[in-house]
Amino acid sequence: MPQPLNAKENALFRQVIRNYEDKQYKRGLKAAEQILKKNPKHGDTMAMKALIMNQQGKTEEAFALGKEALTADMKSHICWHVYGLLYRHQKNYEEAIKAYKFALKLEPDSHQIQRDLAFLQVQMRDYQGYIQSRASMLQARPQVRQNWTALAVAHHLSGDLAQAEKVLTTYEESLKTPPSKTDYENSEAVMYKNSIIAEMGDYEKALTHLESIAKHNLDRLAVMESRAQYLAKLGRKDEAVKAYRALLDRNSEHPDYYNKLIETTELDPNDLAARKAVYDEYAKKNPRCDAAKRLPLDFLTGDDFREAAKAYLTLMLDKGVPSTFANLKHLYGDSSKKETLGALAQEYLDEKKASPEAEKPAGDGAPKGEPAGLYYLAQHYNYRLSRDLAKAMEFVNKGIELVPNSVEFHMTKARIWKHYGNTKKAAETMDQARNLDLKDRYINTKAAKYQLRNNESETALKTMALFTRNDSPGGPLSDLLDMQSVWYLTEDGEAAVRSGNIALALKRFHSVYNIFDVWQEDQFDFHSFSLRKGQIRAYVDMVRWEDHLREHPFYTRASLGAIAAYIGMFDGRKMANGLNGSADVNGEDAAERKKAAKKAKKEAQKAEREAAEKAAKQDPNKAKAGSTEPVKKDDDPNGLRYLATAEPLVEATKFLAPILQFSPKSIDGQIAGFEVYIRREKYLLALRCLNAALAIDATNPTVHEQVVRFRQELDSKLASLPSKVTEVLKSEFKAIEAS
Amino acid sequence: MADPQSRDVEEEVSSQAKSAEDRKAAAALANLDDTHGDDAGAAAVDQEAVSKAMKNLGGTAKTEVKKVKVDAADVALLVDELDLTKPKATELLKAHDGDAVKAMKAFIAT
Amino acid sequence: MDIRRLEPRDLPLIQHANLENLPENYFMKYYLYHALSWPQLSYVAVDVSRPPRTPYDYPKIVGYVLAKMEEEPSDGVPHGHITSLSVMRTHRRLGIAEKLMRQSQLAMVETFGARYVSLHVRVSNRAAIHLYTKTLGFDQEKTETKYYADGEDAFCMRLDLTPIRDQIPDQNGDDAAEEAGEDEG
Repeated sequence: MPQPLNAKENALFRQVIRNYEDKQYKRGLKAAEQILKKNPKHGDTMAMKALIMNQQGKTEEAFALGKEALTADMKSHICWHVYGLLYRHQKNYEEAIKAYKFALKLEPDSHQIQRDLAFLQVQMRDYQGYIQSRASMLQARPQVRQNWTALAVAHHLSGDLAQAEKVLTTYEESLKTPPSKTDYENSEAVMYKNSIIAEMGDYEKALTHLESIAKHNLDRLAVMESRAQYLAKLGRKDEAVKAYRALLDRNSEHPDYYNKLIETTELDPNDLAARKAVYDEYAKKNPRCDAAKRLPLDFLTGDDFREAAKAYLTLMLDKGVPSTFANLKHLYGDSSKKETLGALAQEYLDEKKASPEAEKPAGDGAPKGEPAGLYYLAQHYNYRLSRDLAKAMEFVNKGIELVPNSVEFHMTKARIWKHYGNTKKAAETMDQARNLDLKDRYINTKAAKYQLRNNESETALKTMALFTRNDSPGGPLSDLLDMQSVWYLTEDGEAAVRSGNIALALKRFHSVYNIFDVWQEDQFDFHSFSLRKGQIRAYVDMVRWEDHLREHPFYTRASLGAIAAYIGMFDGRKMANGLNGSADVNGEDAAERKKAAKKAKKEAQKAEREAAEKAAKQDPNKAKAGSTEPVKKDDDPNGLRYLATAEPLVEATKFLAPILQFSPKSIDGQIAGFEVYIRREKYLLALRCLNAALAIDATNPTVHEQVVRFRQELDSKLASLPSKVTEVLKSEFKAIEAS
Repeated sequence: MADPQSRDVEEEVSSQAKSAEDRKAAAALANLDDTHGDDAGAAAVDQEAVSKAMKNLGGTAKTEVKKVKVDAADVALLVDELDLTKPKATELLKAHDGDAVKAMKAFIAT
Repeated sequence: MDIRRLEPRDLPLIQHANLENLPENYFMKYYLYHALSWPQLSYVAVDVSRPPRTPYDYPKIVGYVLAKMEEEPSDGVPHGHITSLSVMRTHRRLGIAEKLMRQSQLAMVETFGARYVSLHVRVSNRAAIHLYTKTLGFDQEKTETKYYADGEDAFCMRLDLTPIRDQIPDQNGDDAAEEAGEDEG
C-alpha cells in the first residue's frame, strides 16, 4: 500500500515532483532526502529520488534505488511507473512495457501511465497492445479528435483498414457543426481517410469521397494527384488526361506525370513521334523546363535520337550546365546512343573551335562553349562504359589550359587519377580543386574524401575542420559525430582498415551503427507530436520508413566493413593459436586480449583525467546550467575496447542480422552472412545465406568458392551434428552432391 | 512525470547552441514533447452520438490460436541452430505442427 | 531529374547533401520535425537517371529545400521560412533551386495561408543572394550580425506571396467554380 505521509511531508513530496518536472534536480533531491530522513522506507519518495538521479546521469545508482523502492512498496503505481521510466531510459522497452502495465493495473485511470505505455507499444510495433491502449484513451476522452484519429492510425498500422475508416467516419458523424474551411486538422483527417479508402482498392468510393471534400481541402497537390490516380484507375480517360495535364502545368519537372499522361492517352507505344509531341508541347510552354527536353532521349532512336540529342547537347553546353554528362550517362547502356553522344560532343567542340568567340566562364565558374565541350568529352572518356583514360586526360588538360581556375576541370582530373588507381595523385589534384574555391563546402568534402581514399586520415580531418564546428572539446570529429556525418565515419573506418588500425575502424563502424539506433529512436516523440500537429499521412509514411530503416545502403556498407574486420580478428586469433600448436584455444588469445583491455583502460583513465583538467580550467561562470548534466566524453577514442572483445563473431552477428533481415537481396550481405555462420558452426544459417546468394547470382565466383567450402565442411562435420539438422542439411544443400 | 526523452534532446542542442541558427533548432525540438496542448482540440461533438458510436466500434475478435504441442528439446534445438529467441522458436515450431525438421526447412528457405 | 515533395525515406540523403554542401548542419530529428510538421512545404530534386548500384538504392538527392511555417510569428502574420536550400555543385545552372522554391512557395500559400516567406543568407554568398533577389524577387530586409556560428552576418530577406494568393481562386473567398465546372465536364 502507498505509505501515508503527514501533511507537511505530503506537500514536500508534491514539491519533489514539481522540481523534477522543472528540472530543479538539486532542490528535488534535497526535498526527497528530507522526507526519507523521517520515512526511510517511503517507496514513492525513493522512486522519485531514483528518477532524479537518473536524470543526473547516475544510471546505476538510480536503478538500484528504483528496485529498492519497489521492494518497499510493491503496490505503488508511482514505483512501478518510475521503474518503467528507468527501463525506458535504458532503452529496454520490453521491461518498461511490463512495468507500465503493472502501474496501470494499480492505477487504471492514470492518463500519464496510459500514454507512456501506448507510445512504447507503437514504438515496439505491438499494434494489438496499441489498439487497446488507444481505445481506452478514447474511452476516457472521446471529445478530443486526436484520440479518434489515433485509434484509426492504430488500426491502420495493424493492417485493419476497414476498422480505421470506420473509426474516422464515426467521429465525423458525431460532429454537430462542420469544421471551418481553414481547420487544418480536419483537412488532413479527411485526406487521411481518403488515402485509406484508396489503399483498400475501392477507387470508385475514393473518388466520390475525394470529390466531396476536394473543394476546401488545404492540400491541393495531394487532392490533384489522388484525383488523377483514381480517374486513371477507373478508366475515365478524358478526365484523367485533363488531371495529369493540370499537374504538369503545376510542375513540369516530374517525369511520372508525363508517363501517366501518355499511359492514359493510350498512345500507340510505337508511335514515338506522337510521344515526343507530348513533351515538345511542355518544352515550348516552359522554356526553362529540363525534363520535357531530356526525357524523349530515353525512347527515341536512330536519326530522331541524333537530332534531339544534338539540340539538347548544344543548348546545355552553350549554357554551361555542368551536369550535362551526369544527366545523359544513363543512355550509355545503349551502345549506339553512347557513340552518338560522344560524336556529337566532338562535333560541338570542333564547331566552337572553328569559330572561337570569347567564351567566358559563367558566373559560378562553370565552363561553357568550347570548355564545356572539353568538359563533356573528358567525362565521356572517364566513364566506365566509354573509358579511355589517356583521352580523358588529354581533354581535361586542354580544358585547364583554357580555364586554369576551373574547379570542375580539376575535379574531373582527380577522378581520372582515381580511375588510374593513383589515389595519391587523385587526392592531390582534388585538393588543388579545393584551393580554387575555398568557400565551397562541396569541393572541400570531395577533397577530404579523396584524402581518405588515400589513407590520409589526419589530413582529411584537417580539411573537414575548415567547415565543421570546432569549438566543442572533441573538436571537428565530435561535430561530425553530432551531425551524423555517416559518409565521413564510413570512409574513415575503411581507411583505418586499409591502414591496419582495426580498433579505430571498428570505432567508426560502431558509430554508424549507433547513428541508426538514434534515427530509430528519433521517431519516438512523433507518436504524440504528429497527432497534435494533425499531420497523419506524413506520420504513417515515417512509421513505414522506420520499419525498414536499416535497409539503407549507408547501414549495409558500414556494417559489411565491421563484419569483415571481426572475421579477420577471429581468423587471426585462431591462426595464432594454431601456429603455436596450443591446445588451449584461449591461452595466447586471452593474453592478447587482456593486454588490449589493459591498454584500453589506461587510455580511458587518461582521457578522464584530461577531461577533468579541462573542466577545472573552464570559466566557472559558464558551467551553471550544464553542471547537473554529466559531460559527455569519449573514454575510448581509439576503439581499443572493441579490439578487446572476447566474442568477435557475436559482434559481427549484431551488424549482420539487420542486413539479412532488411536487405536480403544484397549478395554481399549473404556472402558475409555465410562467412560469419560457418565460423560459428551454425550450418543451417550458413546454408540459408548460401542458397539466397545462389538465387541472386549463381555465377558469382565467391559464392561458388563458398559452395565448395561448405561441401567440404559438411563432409567432415555432418556425422557429429544432431540428426534433425543433418536431415535438413542433406535435403536443402543441393549445389554439390556429397562425395 | 513526463517522459524525459526529448528533454535530453533539448539539452543536447542548447549546450551547443551558440548561434541564432542553432537556437532556433533547439527551441523547436524542445517543444516536440510538450503535451500541454493535448486536449486543446476538444471540438463541438455531440456527446450522446459519441458515446453511442463508441459502443459500435467494439473490438475486433482475436483469431483463435490453434493448440500445438511442442517438444522442449526441439525449441532448444531451434534456439541454438537458428539463433532465435525462445518465443520465436516456439512460434516457428507451432506454425509447423511441432515438426522441427519442417520448421527448420521453412526457416532457411525464406 | 525529378522535382517532387520530400518523403521521410529521403531524409538520410537530404542530410547527406546538406553535409556535403553547407556549413549549417542538423541532426536527423530536425529534418523529421520539418517533414512531419509541414510535409507539403519541402521539396527535393532527384537524379533519376543514375544507374542503380544495389537493389536497395535510395533516390539520389541532388537538391532540396527544407521549409517551415514560422510557429509563433512575432508580427502575427502567418508566414513561411526557408530553413535550408542547397543544390549539388554538379547540378547547378539547371534552375533547380528556383524550381524547388516555387513549388514550396505555392504550397505555403495553399496549405497554410502564408502571406510572405522569409530566409537568412550569408552576406558573402553572392550566388545565393543573386538567386533570391534577382530570380525570385526577394527584398533585403535587414542584416543580422553574427547570425552564423562562425561569426558571419546574415541578410534577412523576404518575399511577398500576394501574387500567388491572387492566382488561387479559393484564397480570395472566390469559390473554385470554374475549376469545379471543368471537372464535372
